[in-house]
Amino acid sequence: MNDRCEILCHEVLQGPYRRIVFHAPEIAKTAKPGQFVHIRILPLRDRILRRPFSICSADPEKGSLTVVYKIVGEGTDVLSTMKPGDVCEILGPQGNSYSMPKDDEKIYPILVAGGYGSASTYFLAERLKQKGAFLTGARSGADLLLIEEYRKLGFDVRISTNDGSVGHQGFVTDLLAHTLREAGDRKPVIYACGPEPMLIALGKLALTLGVECELSLDQRMGCGVGACFACVIKVNDKTNADGWRYSRSCKEGPVYNAKEVYLG
Amino acid sequence: MADLTTKLGPLTLKNPVMTASGTFGYGVEYDQEFFPISELGAVVVKGIAPLPVHGNPTPRIAETVSGMINAIGLQGPGVDKFLHDPHYMPYLKKANATVIVNMWGKKIEDYAYVAERLEQEKDGIAALEINVSCPNIKEGGISFGTNTESMKSVISAVRKATTIPLITKLSPNVTRVADFAKAAEDAGSDMISLINTIPAMAIDVETRRPKLANVTGGLSGPCVKPVAIKMVYEAAQAVKIPVIGMGGIMTGLDAAEFLLAGASAVAVGTAIFADPYAPVRVIRELNEYLDRHGIKQVSDLVGQVII
Repeated sequence: MNDRCEILCHEVLQGPYRRIVFHAPEIAKTAKPGQFVHIRILPLRDRILRRPFSICSADPEKGSLTVVYKIVGEGTDVLSTMKPGDVCEILGPQGNSYSMPKDDEKIYPILVAGGYGSASTYFLAERLKQKGAFLTGARSGADLLLIEEYRKLGFDVRISTNDGSVGHQGFVTDLLAHTLREAGDRKPVIYACGPEPMLIALGKLALTLGVECELSLDQRMGCGVGACFACVIKVNDKTNADGWRYSRSCKEGPVYNAKEVYLG
Repeated sequence: MADLTTKLGPLTLKNPVMTASGTFGYGVEYDQEFFPISELGAVVVKGIAPLPVHGNPTPRIAETVSGMINAIGLQGPGVDKFLHDPHYMPYLKKANATVIVNMWGKKIEDYAYVAERLEQEKDGIAALEINVSCPNIKEGGISFGTNTESMKSVISAVRKATTIPLITKLSPNVTRVADFAKAAEDAGSDMISLINTIPAMAIDVETRRPKLANVTGGLSGPCVKPVAIKMVYEAAQAVKIPVIGMGGIMTGLDAAEFLLAGASAVAVGTAIFADPYAPVRVIRELNEYLDRHGIKQVSDLVGQVII
């Protein structure tokens, strides 16, 4: 699906972070947590590649699609100047999704996000019937996103910052051991999105602790549909002499079970 | 509506628009999500080697002004999996695609081996495209394509191994492309295609690191089109065999430009990343151009640049 979608609303969340809402009824109808959209920013005339964004929320009734992003380069810089009524070409929803538990399953979801990875896990928090914990890590307090929104959804928010300006000073993985104790008789399941080093550390920790864990991973992306093999990540493959193979994060991913990911 | 039927030496295609190897995977994603790939002149699949290949570390691409640099490193399933795994050749056959298999190797024997394997199970394969011009692998690839004698040895070895029509994909990284076009013709290639990507590099000035893990890569996209047009123009004048032109085609007008320069067919590549429908859009726009100019047959446009 590749649609021309009108911007309904575009607002500053804080600092370089923006929330943009598109009228995208076809995408909103089928979008699942963990999936992404591949956006062609039309005013970027001399840049031909699309930019991938996690879906932060999708409302099939209103036909709206929400993306939260950080201005990090030319693409997002130009995107940030676009106004309601302007149009982007949106390809999606692309990729696989977090595995949704059944509504009556006794699980304790632990959503873990680094930086604006919290946009991806937010869509999951919205759709999950089970409430749990949201662990979020960022460089400093100014980079923490959607904290109140997660609280409103009934998630217990725990924060770490590298500079200690808010919450625990250190890494988001430091918060895991304590959080696991809150699960009680429910089965803890970790769902995570963020920078690769954080996800690799978290994946290793989850495997050591024997906790189910899904990681949303990606790499610099080209086509977004599985054709160009740019966005690959290493996954375990016993049939291969090296023990791993490259998997297209736009197609087989972006969500991988920690057991699948080649953790080195 | 003009007649788009395209005769390419031993091949007859329904139209002159193909996909460029490496930009369309093995066709399945597009057939399932976007348009029937049987509508294309041909699907040129991503390069096939004797064995599976990991490819290069990431990041594998970097964006440039009006283009991109890639160093994928020819990740691929290897010839046996390509022939038998349902996601590859069996799928393409079922989808009724006209299939051109791009192939490469590190040694001449690799090329010959892939050609032999494809010869043994050639049902559904319209042509082979010999890649002697990939800039992103340590051995093979471009090293064969920048010396006329070693290029001829590769083509001869493949020619001996198979009766399937052969296309040789030329590198732009040479002083006189006409010499290579002629050499390919002399060695028994039925067609030539050009250009492959142009060796390139980009550096992140903040981190001082190259933007690609492979350090260098190949430049493609609309920024290379004028280079490609000139090389197609020169190559087409040097040979009698048909030329397939590519390099930065985004629209039907770009395709017409390549035909005017002397290409009998064209391939759409990087444009597909911006617009997954680009190849079928190019067919439509080319048709509109031909109608607008009252041209009844697409072949009437080939080489008709007025100098």
